[in-house]
Amino acid sequence: MGLKRMIGRVAFALLVLGIVAWAVFPFAWAIVTSLKAGSALFTVEAWPSQPSLANYTAIFKEQPFGRNILNSLLAASSVVALSLGLAVLAAYALGRVRFRGRGLLLFVVLGVSMFPQVAVLSGLFELVRWLGLYNRIGSLVLSYLIFTLPFTVWVLTTFMRELPKELEEAAMVDGAGPFVIVTRVFLPLMGPALAATGLLAFIAAWNEFLFALTFTLTDDARTVPVAIALMSGASQYELPWGQIMAASVVVTVPLIGLVLLFQRRIVSGLTAGAVKG
Amino acid sequence: MAGVTLRGVRKSFGRIEVIHGVDLDVADGEFVAFVGPSGCGKSTLLRLIAGLEEPSGGDLSIGGQRVNDRPPAARGIAMVFQSYALYPHMTAYDNMAFGLTLSRTDKRTIAERVRAAARLLQIEDLLDRKPRDLSGGQRQRVAIGRAIVREPQVFLFDEPLSNLDAGLRVQMRLEIAKLKADLRATMIYVTHDQVEAMTLADRIVVLNAGRVEQAGTPLELYHRPRNRFVAGFIGSPAMNFLDVVSEGRADGSVRVWLPGGVPLDVAVGGAAPPAGAPLTLGVRPEHVGLADGGAGLVATILAVERLGGETHCHAALEDGQRLLVRLDGDRPVAAGERLRLNLRGETAHLFGPDGRRL
Repeated sequence: MGLKRMIGRVAFALLVLGIVAWAVFPFAWAIVTSLKAGSALFTVEAWPSQPSLANYTAIFKEQPFGRNILNSLLAASSVVALSLGLAVLAAYALGRVRFRGRGLLLFVVLGVSMFPQVAVLSGLFELVRWLGLYNRIGSLVLSYLIFTLPFTVWVLTTFMRELPKELEEAAMVDGAGPFVIVTRVFLPLMGPALAATGLLAFIAAWNEFLFALTFTLTDDARTVPVAIALMSGASQYELPWGQIMAASVVVTVPLIGLVLLFQRRIVSGLTAGAVKG
Repeated sequence: MAGVTLRGVRKSFGRIEVIHGVDLDVADGEFVAFVGPSGCGKSTLLRLIAGLEEPSGGDLSIGGQRVNDRPPAARGIAMVFQSYALYPHMTAYDNMAFGLTLSRTDKRTIAERVRAAARLLQIEDLLDRKPRDLSGGQRQRVAIGRAIVREPQVFLFDEPLSNLDAGLRVQMRLEIAKLKADLRATMIYVTHDQVEAMTLADRIVVLNAGRVEQAGTPLELYHRPRNRFVAGFIGSPAMNFLDVVSEGRADGSVRVWLPGGVPLDVAVGGAAPPAGAPLTLGVRPEHVGLADGGAGLVATILAVERLGGETHCHAALEDGQRLLVRLDGDRPVAAGERLRLNLRGETAHLFGPDGRRL
């Protein structure tokens, strides 16, 4: 029996190892590549023999990458702030107020998120032009709300529904109106849900490519994913792999940091309501 | 301070009417308890008074003013919820101060009122704690404190003690009685625990299926229940009901025949039923005595429950009808023994076929 258990443990460890390798390898390879310079790129080695940070300095000197990061940050944080703000208010209405057509409305919200991005692209382009937002960050904030709002609304609605009714009633007896109930009673209790949905919205906005490619034209309006994809070398025949990898590492590390920072809250946010307590 | 008046108050949820026209007057400073089985509408009635439900019909006034269209906060009420409903992210102090903060009362008044309420409830040391760091009884105090701080005209309690364990419940019951004496405010108290209702209330309103069965002082309900429902609901252990046959009226009382051919004269107020009519005799377990001699009702003991201070005997009469008898704690009785019981007309009640007391 001891032997059987031993084999089981070893097999399990191998499985875990395999999964970790599968998940981490691409990123590790990107780090390794980003530290290589010139023709060293094309040698296969676990760690570069002469690691250099040249690629990292290059992306900020030769490319407007600092500006791109700023754009991405601006777009993603605006999207997070706007979608959380709107979603909290919508969640109160959809989760706590009884009205005709509430279920239908929730499904419409969900339905919106099922449209492929390409299907709405041309229409959105017209809208963006009409609003005068072309080649501005505003166009991205507007279009990103299309895919962040449905899931923020859904997650927060579910969460809000789980909050005890007596709490709202106690606040009503205390003289609170709907806005005060949302902001001063419910909002402080929604920390985990807000952290989880906010982070997911941030990641979605941070990684978005198609809208960002379509609605921006010049380097100083571009966001990170587009900038990386369009990075060009000294000649049109050269793809600056080293710089691309360096850029990828630079934009991935903050995300990993955020996830690690919020990971406990994300888990409790996503499973909120699943189990009482 | 103010009284509460309900006139023909109805409430429907969709097509189902749960409150069927309730008329009720709660006097200024009175402590009224709503009791009834679960689903009888007692909590709904309280929520209607609080303004958390909108009445489908009828008028509701507090302090002589019609409040049907006023939000809860403008009715001069405060409510204590069964689950306490404390704001989890606020300290006890902030929980109690929240209502006043919203109405922009100045900070010094808020602090004074919160401290005064905390002193009354002996929770002054706990004001900095969050609800999760408080025990059930302490949370309940904070919830009551939150109500007191608002200085309402009417206090509404929705089963406030039912989440506490038995010992604490007795203690808090005494504290609410003390509070009632200290505050002299009008209080409406919903409970399913008739002991709470009997001990606390000036008047009890017994509700059943959305109707008021009877409203009266605790002893009125105990001694003169209007119908079989109230008789069975008030009193613990519950009243015994026996099927009997009327022999007709004589001198303001009705003679009925008990199983085994024992006659009993029961005083009745209203019109007497014709001879031969089937009636229900109600007699409380504590009013069933043991007969001295050979006469009396014969019953066989089925089971004995010894509670220390008293003994409950479940017994069967000759015709199989069950009867609960309450005896002294140390009376030597055992299952299978036969008892001779003595019922007295003055402590028995007669109910007609419609359940009304005669």
